[in-house]
Parts: sequence; C-alpha cells; structure tokens
Amino acid sequence: MNEFDVVVIGGGPGGYAAGIRAAQLGLSVALVEREALGGTCLNWGCIPTKSLLHSAELYTQMCSASDFGIEAKSVGFDLSKIVQKSRQAADQLSQGIAQLMKKNKIQVFTGDASIVSVGQVQVNDQVLVTDSIVIATGAEQKSLGPIAIDGQQIWGAREAMTPAALPARLLIVGAGAIGVEFASFYQALGSAVTLLEVAPNILPAEDTDISALAAEALAQRGINVQVGQGLQALTSLADCVEATIAGETIQFDAAILSVGVAARVQGLGLEALGVTMDRGFIVVDERQQTSIAGIYAIGDVAGAPCLAHKATHEAMIAAETIAGHAVQGLQRDRIPGCTYSFPQIASIGLREQDAGDRAVRVGRFPLYANGKAVVSGHTEGMIKTIFDAETGALLGAHLIGDSVTELIQGFAVAIGLETTEHELLETIFPHPTVSEAMQESVMLAFDRPLHL
Amino acid sequence: MTEGMVSEWFIADGAKVKKGEMLYALETEKVNLDVDAEMDGFVKHTVEAGVMLAPGDVVGYIFAFDEPIPADFAGVASPAAAVVAAPKAAAPAAAVSAMPEPVTADSGDGRLKSSPAARRLASELGVALAGLAGSGPGGRIVEADVQQATLQPGFSAGAVSQANVEMKINASPLARRLATERGIDLSQIKGSGPQGRIVQADLDQAPLASGRAAPAQAGPTAGSSVPVRGMRKTIAQRMHQSLQTSAQLSMDMTAQMDDAVRLRGQLLKEWDGEARPTYTDLVIKAVAKALVQHPMMNSRFDDTEITLLREINMGLAVSVPEGLLVPVIRGVHELSLKQIAQESARLAAAARAGTLGLDDYAGGTFTISALGMFGVNSFTPIINQPQTGILGVNQLFDGLSWEGDKPIKTKQMNLSLTWDHRSVDGAPAAEFLASVVEFLSEPYRLLL
Repeated sequence: MNEFDVVVIGGGPGGYAAGIRAAQLGLSVALVEREALGGTCLNWGCIPTKSLLHSAELYTQMCSASDFGIEAKSVGFDLSKIVQKSRQAADQLSQGIAQLMKKNKIQVFTGDASIVSVGQVQVNDQVLVTDSIVIATGAEQKSLGPIAIDGQQIWGAREAMTPAALPARLLIVGAGAIGVEFASFYQALGSAVTLLEVAPNILPAEDTDISALAAEALAQRGINVQVGQGLQALTSLADCVEATIAGETIQFDAAILSVGVAARVQGLGLEALGVTMDRGFIVVDERQQTSIAGIYAIGDVAGAPCLAHKATHEAMIAAETIAGHAVQGLQRDRIPGCTYSFPQIASIGLREQDAGDRAVRVGRFPLYANGKAVVSGHTEGMIKTIFDAETGALLGAHLIGDSVTELIQGFAVAIGLETTEHELLETIFPHPTVSEAMQESVMLAFDRPLHL
Repeated sequence: MTEGMVSEWFIADGAKVKKGEMLYALETEKVNLDVDAEMDGFVKHTVEAGVMLAPGDVVGYIFAFDEPIPADFAGVASPAAAVVAAPKAAAPAAAVSAMPEPVTADSGDGRLKSSPAARRLASELGVALAGLAGSGPGGRIVEADVQQATLQPGFSAGAVSQANVEMKINASPLARRLATERGIDLSQIKGSGPQGRIVQADLDQAPLASGRAAPAQAGPTAGSSVPVRGMRKTIAQRMHQSLQTSAQLSMDMTAQMDDAVRLRGQLLKEWDGEARPTYTDLVIKAVAKALVQHPMMNSRFDDTEITLLREINMGLAVSVPEGLLVPVIRGVHELSLKQIAQESARLAAAARAGTLGLDDYAGGTFTISALGMFGVNSFTPIINQPQTGILGVNQLFDGLSWEGDKPIKTKQMNLSLTWDHRSVDGAPAAEFLASVVEFLSEPYRLLL
C-alpha cells in the first residue's frame, strides 16, 4: 500500500531533513526525488563548490608557501582531478543520505512527482496517498533574458563546477555569493576573471562595508570587478563568447551566468490546486503551510533566502507542525549567510544601511590587530558588530576574512539567545584564536577596545 | 537582613586578633553591629570595607597561629579556618529575606546576573537566585553559588518562597534588561520563545511596554535621584506588599486625656529621671492591656488559620534620617509602665544611634506609630505584616467636651487604628479601640 502520513517531494537539505524529522516523530514518510538525494546543495551547489574552492585555496597556499619558510617546487594542478575530487565528495555524501533514508525507514521513490489532489501524489505510474505533502523541490538557475545557458561557452553553475579546461578569459555575470565564489576559484587557478554586477555593489545582500572590502580584496587579487554595469549582449561564437559591456565588445573564452534562481514548480500541478504564489515562489505561513491545507512548502521553493540551512530549519518547522507540535516560525533576521570566496564572508542580522532611524552602536575590528590572524598570514578582513544603542541587543554581525564562515555561528547563537553586549563581554574567548576578534568588535562598539 | 557590609575593619588584614576582640563593624539596612572575633589567630580579609554583601557571605578568615595561610582564598571552604561571615539574622531577617532582587547579584542597573547553568540548577533545586551572593564576574551568580546555597542552614522555605517565583522565569538577557528598563513584571508575561522563554517580542506586546518614551523622560531630569536600596528598598517592598496582601481599613476614636496628662506629670516627678514616660508610652501600655482583652487583635492571619499569639511584642515605629525602624518591646503585657518607658527610650535612642541589635527587631505582634509630634490628628498607618493591627498615635490637642449644656476645654487625642478585616470585623475592632481609649481616659488602670 502506498499510504503515508507524509510525502516529501524533493530530496535536498529541506526535503530529506523534513523526512527524517517526521520519521523521528513517528510518522510514515515517503520521499520523492527525480535526480540524486541531497539536492542542489549536495550535488550541484554548496558541497562540490567547497571542494573546488578548497583545492584552489591549497594551490594558492602552496604557491605562497615560501612566505612561511616552506619550499614547494613545481607546484601545479590537474583541473580534471580537482573536479573529480569534488564529484567524489558529492557522491559520497549523497550515498550517506540514502543510508539515512534507510535508517529512518523512509521510502524513497525516484521520478517526477505531481500533486494530483490534496492527499495524492503521483510518481511515475504510482499514486501515493497521504495526509500531508511537503514541497521541497528547490530552485533552478535563471537565465538572463534572451541569453540562455548553452553549456558550451555560456555556463550555468553546473558547467562552471565541471570545467573540462580552464578558460583563460572568464566573464562572470552576477556578483552574488555564487558569482563571487566562482570568481575566486577561477582567479586562483589563473583565469583572467571579469566580474560584472548590475547593482552598485558586489554581494548586494551584504552590509555595504563588507561589499566594499570584498570588492577591494577581489580587485587586489586581480579580478576585474565591474559594478553598476549590465550586460548588454552576450553572443556565443565558435570558440569564444562576445560580451557587450558599456557599449564595448569584449571576447571571453567562457561566461558564467549567476544571476539568481527561480522556484522549481513546473509539473507539480500547483496551478490546478490553486496554491498561492508570489513572484514565482510558493507563499507559506509561519508554519510553512501553503494556501492549501495539508500542503507545505520549504526551502528555496518557498522563497528567499535560498540557503540550505534555511531549508533545513523550515523542514523542522514543517515536520513538527505536521506531527502536531507547537513550533516557532522561522525568524528571518536570524539566518546566517556564508560566502566561501577568498576572503570569506559571513553575516547575520541587521545591515547598517538598513538601520534607518534606529540608534545603533557599531564595532569594526580589523583582523590585522588579531594575533592568530597575523600568525597565519590572514590579516585581511574585519569583524563588524551592530547593537541597538538603547537596549544593547546584538542586532547584526558582518564578517570578512579567512575562515570567518566558521565564526558566524557564535553570533548566531548570541542573537538566538537575545544576547546583549553584557553577555558577550563577560564571555571568555580563547587565546590565540581569530574568534577573539569577535569580542574585540563588541568592545569597540562600546568604546572599550583592548587591542586597537 | 538582605544586605550588609563591613563598614570598618578594626583588625587590619594579616594582623593578630584575640578571641573577644572587636573585629569589624557590620552595617545592614537596619543595624550597625560590632562583631567580635570567635577565636585567636591571624585575620585575613576577603572583602574590603564598604562592599555590599548578602547574608552568609564570607568577609574573611581567622587562621590559627600554627595554620598555614593559603595564597588564594577563592576555593577555601576551609574547615580549619574560622569563617567570619556576615551573620544571618533570626526572626526579622527571615521575613525580609524574601526580597525578589538580591543586591549582590544586581548589577546596579537592575539586571539580575546569573549564568544559564546556575538558573537551571536553581530551578531544579528550588533555590532562589535572588538573595544569593554571586561569586562570578561582576557578582554574577554561578552554579557553585547555587550549590553552596543548598548547604546553608538559613535556606529554608521563607528565604526561597517569593524570590523563587521570580527566578523560575525563563527570559532572554535582552528581555530581562528591557523589562527592568520599562518597568514590566516578567512574571506576568507569557513567553513565546522555545520552552516558554520570554523574548523581546513578548515585551513589545506587554501592556506597559508601550511607554517607551516614558522612562526616557522620567530619567535624568533636574535634581538628583535616590537609589532604592537598603532600608528604603525594604520599606518600599514591605509596605507595598502589606497593602497588596491584606484587607486593611482604618478608624479614629478620640480619647479624653486630662487624667493621662495629670498622671504623666506626677510620674515624671515621682520617677525623677529613672524613667520619663511619654504619651506614647501610656498608649503602649493601654494597647498592651487592651490586647490581652481582645486577643484577635494580636494574631496572625495565614489563609487557612488565624493564630492567636500568646506573647504581646510591641513594635515601635521610630523615624531615623534614612527612613524608619521598628524596634520591638518584647513581652510588653508583662512590663510595668515604668519598664515600658525605660525600654522604649532605650530602643528609640539605639535606633537613632544605629546601635540596635538584631534581637531588638524580632517577633513584633502589634505596632504603634506616633506622628503626634508633627501635629497630625489622624492618619492611616499601614500594617507591619504579618500582624493584624497598627495604632497611630496623634497629637494631644485642646478639645471640647460637654458638662450638660456647658462646653469645657479638655485635653484630647485621636487614635487611628488600622486593622486587617480578614481576621477582625469592624465591631470587634471598634471594641478594641474603645478599650484603649477607656484605659487612657482612666489612666490609673495603667498602673495596676
């Protein structure tokens, strides 16, 4: 019998997490995935790109090993092996998800799903009967108007993370997190990278201080950063692309389009059901329920920010709601974001440019004043904290620098607990660590810096 | 006693002390005491004079002459060294130690500082964090303080009760800070965070939270501000609590005082300085005798039963520059008027000199408050909980009484009784007050 308490459509970090949590709460779960378990994140996003970036970072470090007294001769790389390594990581983790499905007795169906009616999901020629449906189909890359990803010289993210050869001249259109990460990767391996952003800043979702520092850091590495510039035309030729930027036509060996994503809802049958949508994304309430009772949506398909950890958190909310537990809705100002560029960027909460009339105290601590950063040679970057001037509540934290993606969780916990400066100043941060700079930033915000 | 400090060390840090020698002066919101050394040895201070402390805090150690003195006292539980701690008071302290905010862990801006682990343990063990001395940074209460508290004999139900409720509140640091700033009672708020944790959003919806501008305006305006601490804090809390927890009402009755005035004049002459009876002393004696006749007025109400008390201990409100003290004349029904006059004089002097002992506060069963010297003719005193009545003594004035159709000038005094209607109704209360008035009108009975 194909009857389940919950049917989850999509096996990414939203879908599989929803399945596991629902199973933990005693519900019978089916999960439908048409491609590979783990979704975009695991197969074509977060994970393989981190592998690529790790290789590129290692290469960069080996090239500068002599700074630390290490002699490394004839340092080189094999692009195909770098890509292969990233695919191995993705495959390994995807298999891990399959194991988790088995362990939690979640029945996995392979194929395209469509919602026939409330409580009925069709997969291939089978109909799954269920009380609750969780849509976790994610998002896919947008094309840029008439310019389409052709897989030859015009790449999307998939092509960009499986290059056969290193493009000597690379154009990256869109300087969001994905574009900036690819820029860092290809620049590190030797491509001449032009990074194009139509907004006035790269990383437009970040605090403007961070965007400016990031642009500076990328330019210093040799990336041609062009902001406030739209792409007027992009034409694929025999062995190159021709781009028109600010009236000028320039040739590149390849172009990567990273101009955002659109919800993946085609074929689900949402229109027939009358599920409310907004700008292509499914509208949900604070318990992740759509406009139709019994149908939930989580992750990218339910709207920005399109981040795996946001999807996973929404998965918990949806699964617990379905199991009848009281839940707290997603708090959007508490979702951290990470960009694994060189240098890294991590942030959470209020941006200073959004403070408006609100009185805030801001601390900006440069990493060059941190002992551990000096030792490792990663003195580039800054930790910025923003507090409510009246209440002392930590409102936001914006970090740029080596390995800051591993630091942001400290501020995420602090904001989650509604910490004031008092608790952060009372906490003892270990020495010598880069994390000390987090506390220094708080000290600065309250006019009592120690090392500055 | 809820807070106190060493106001002066008489024996310097590291110096020798002999058993019985004066060691330090303890100052609390109510008393100043000189504390004697309990053994011979070397004195080591762990707190400086002037630092606020909670009951049970260690102020220093006496090490026997042959005992090694450790370099660091932080971890010294020291069974060997005599612990010189701020003493816990007996009966009166138990009554006031349930104050919801401990001074030792109060950061001055009103935030109660405690670690999450300490709060959890305190909640599990039913220990009130309020009232604990915090040994963490900045007086923050840490887990070890909670564990220590459970070992202290003074931590009985009384100390835990009310304050415990306060500390069981699960609220974020920000919510606690905002509640303090905005004057919001966290115990009245339902938390929407994980496990019912009170978060900022909950405060924004609290009725009082709307007045965000109010505290800003009420803040640093002209003049200075008076910190609510020590005696002021105790008075504020106890008076407010009294009005909130009992059914108080007041009535006045006029006593004819001509004979009392004459009697007092005679006694002043007769006792010739041995004792100087005041009108208040006459009232004390009259009330003591009336309480014997009306035992319900000398009782304690506690929801399930009214305890009629055998002893009559008369509290005597004494005004001092810092506020108000209520020393107690114990066993007042067994004392002669002369003894009462002597004892009340002693207590009043000690109160003003700040030399009252802890025992001088203990066990009051009824209270007398005199405002007559300020020309007051009537007022509504507030009951000193958990007592049932308090009598306000007003000024002596020239009144009229009638002999047939003829008005005569007489000495009169109004007595203002506040009593607790939960235990005593209007008629019996009036009968009690009439008895007091009668004793004063026929004052020879006060000498019997």
